[in-house]
Amino acid sequence: MTAGAVAARRRRPDLLPYLLVAPLALVIVGLAVVPAVYSLVQAFFRVQPLDPPTRFNGFDNFRSLAHNSAVLGSLGNTIAYTVIGMALTTVLGIGMALALQQRFRGRSIVIAVLILPWALPGVVEGIVWSGIWDANVGLFNSALTSFHLVDQYQVFLGSNRWLTILLIEIVQVWQITPLSALLVLAALQNIPDELYEASALDGCSAWSRFVRITLPLARPGIAVAMVQALILTLNVFDQPYVLNGAAETGASLTMQTYFISFQNLDFGAGYALSLLITLATLLLSWVVVRLVYRKVEF
Amino acid sequence: MALPRLMTIPAAALGVVGLLAACGGNGSDSKTPTAGPTTGVTISVVLATDPPPQAALDAFTKQTGITVKWTNVDWDSLQTKITAAVTAKTYFADATDVDWSRVGQLSKLNAFYPMDELMDTKSLEADMPQLTSFTAGGHVVGVPYDASFSVTTVNKKMFTEAGVALPKTLDEYTAALKTLKSKGTVQYPLNIPFAAAEGLSTYWYQTTAAFGGTVLDDKYKPAFTDPASPGYKAAAWMVDAMKQGLVPPGNINVTDTQGQQTLMAKGQVASVFSDYSGMVGSLYNVPKSSTVVNQVAYLPTPGVTGPGKNNSNPDGIGVPRTAKYAQAAALFIKWFTDADNQADFAGLSGPDKAMPGYALPSHVSAVQKLADKGSLIGGKDLATMLQTSSQPIFPGGAPSWYPQFSQAVYTNLHSAATGSVTVEQALKKIGDTADQLSASGS
Repeated sequence: MTAGAVAARRRRPDLLPYLLVAPLALVIVGLAVVPAVYSLVQAFFRVQPLDPPTRFNGFDNFRSLAHNSAVLGSLGNTIAYTVIGMALTTVLGIGMALALQQRFRGRSIVIAVLILPWALPGVVEGIVWSGIWDANVGLFNSALTSFHLVDQYQVFLGSNRWLTILLIEIVQVWQITPLSALLVLAALQNIPDELYEASALDGCSAWSRFVRITLPLARPGIAVAMVQALILTLNVFDQPYVLNGAAETGASLTMQTYFISFQNLDFGAGYALSLLITLATLLLSWVVVRLVYRKVEF
Repeated sequence: MALPRLMTIPAAALGVVGLLAACGGNGSDSKTPTAGPTTGVTISVVLATDPPPQAALDAFTKQTGITVKWTNVDWDSLQTKITAAVTAKTYFADATDVDWSRVGQLSKLNAFYPMDELMDTKSLEADMPQLTSFTAGGHVVGVPYDASFSVTTVNKKMFTEAGVALPKTLDEYTAALKTLKSKGTVQYPLNIPFAAAEGLSTYWYQTTAAFGGTVLDDKYKPAFTDPASPGYKAAAWMVDAMKQGLVPPGNINVTDTQGQQTLMAKGQVASVFSDYSGMVGSLYNVPKSSTVVNQVAYLPTPGVTGPGKNNSNPDGIGVPRTAKYAQAAALFIKWFTDADNQADFAGLSGPDKAMPGYALPSHVSAVQKLADKGSLIGGKDLATMLQTSSQPIFPGGAPSWYPQFSQAVYTNLHSAATGSVTVEQALKKIGDTADQLSASGS
């Protein structure tokens, strides 16, 4: 082969990787990127089928959202969902990952069972848990009365805003913690045993090993787990809708997007709220990555 | 209610709808109602109910040359899908659900063909009293295929055990509930679904009708903010029932269907003031889902001085503007809502010809036939109520802003039931919302 032929071959791009990725890329662009860009543009238009035509209205949609008491109430609820959900998911996820890192009989079966809640649709989980929290015939009340902790069945969901949010978020935490645990477990399994052996020889306590070796070296996995928890809790819809209906005590921002768009037929405001939720998700995800993620090399 | 997980990805989901709207044609508005062939075609029918027996559909195909592809989608999801399709102006079905509550909205959107241009609806009026609930702007948006209306149900066994006569007025009814509780017949005698959902709104409308009024006047202005008004009294009565322990405390998160299935059908309560017609035959007397078989009966609505009105809340069927075969769909609707066929679907000619879950025909004559033959439990009472006391919730048809109004109703009444606001505060907020919506006219 001549030097010229070799140079020509080097210049010719290898198209195979692009061809292989193209179908998926087209689907993503068509069903995610283009609609997202379209939503972004439409957020600045008045899009109300009951009051046509569609027309540019600048920031009016955003202004109307800022004065919408239901949206503001849901903003508070959503912040609470996110804070509770991320805290519980992260702590429980790390705890479960540490437990699963130990070798024990039936470990693989435990992992398989553990992932089940994550695989279930949120609506199904809402229905299952409504049977647990139910104030008339619920399992939780039944357990409390069986153990003589309460005299009569108590109302949990809907009676108090913060208790309602906590109980709803527990359901979501039950769903998303398994994935967090697996993400952290994957990070834990990358940590070389030699580090623990050396620390043991140096007389480190278990707590010291956890704080000085495990946590710092598992940060990439913890960061990913926290970001997925953030995205899911910030966009919570199924659990509050099924467990608490449209009540203000538990309505989330994504529920308001649904009500504004598909019930009130004010798509422009719906686009605007979606845009704000998307921007908040991106911004907070970036903050979490900046604060938690560290590149780890062994 | 099963909402797709995609809903949780707001930007993408909304964007897809928007894109479809942008790409969708708007030429459908100009399509003539007679468009499309009427034979040798397959039409898509999407409703929130099981289909009629296959033999009946086959007979329709043989008679008309039209094949029916039936899809059953749960009611809430169906409404979202219809909204998305209507907004995007894309094909969804040739015939689909038109709920009474969305008649105003769908009419204003010009989303469905006027049925009076596709078939003779005038001749239906006499035998189909609830047709008025589907009329907006002088046109019939859909044809009711059932005759659902609000009705009081009572567990007669419990009333007898407590030595209480069946009440005829609201005062007697309230006193009877208190007696049932005080005698220990049942701890919580009344089911009111206080969950923040549509069932709470319709319960209030019916209670308001029993108090002798409507929630909105004929100009769609709120008629419930004055403490002397029926709407105010109805809301106060419902919340008082909760406070006095007549309603299970957990009902603040119980929907209408949950209450029927887990409370009334299980003997946990003695009465549902605003129940749905047909529930006795389709739920309370079904042994596998009920422990109160043959104990529950319909009761003429206890009103202020005697029997009150019964609000209509039927489901209808119509032809979307984007239908591929509008005329064929109209022929199907004519067949599907035919009085004789409805009687068969409701079980007049035995279970082989019956449509699962179909309880009450929209034709009075069909209900009468079923009642005469004894094929409909409580048939005589239902036929009488349908003919004499059923009324549309909004005499002028549901306003286009009804969904927003209803949301204000159920979220605020729910809050009043939890005690976080007073009845007065709740009704003020509902009234303000109604005024605002009515003024904007959207």
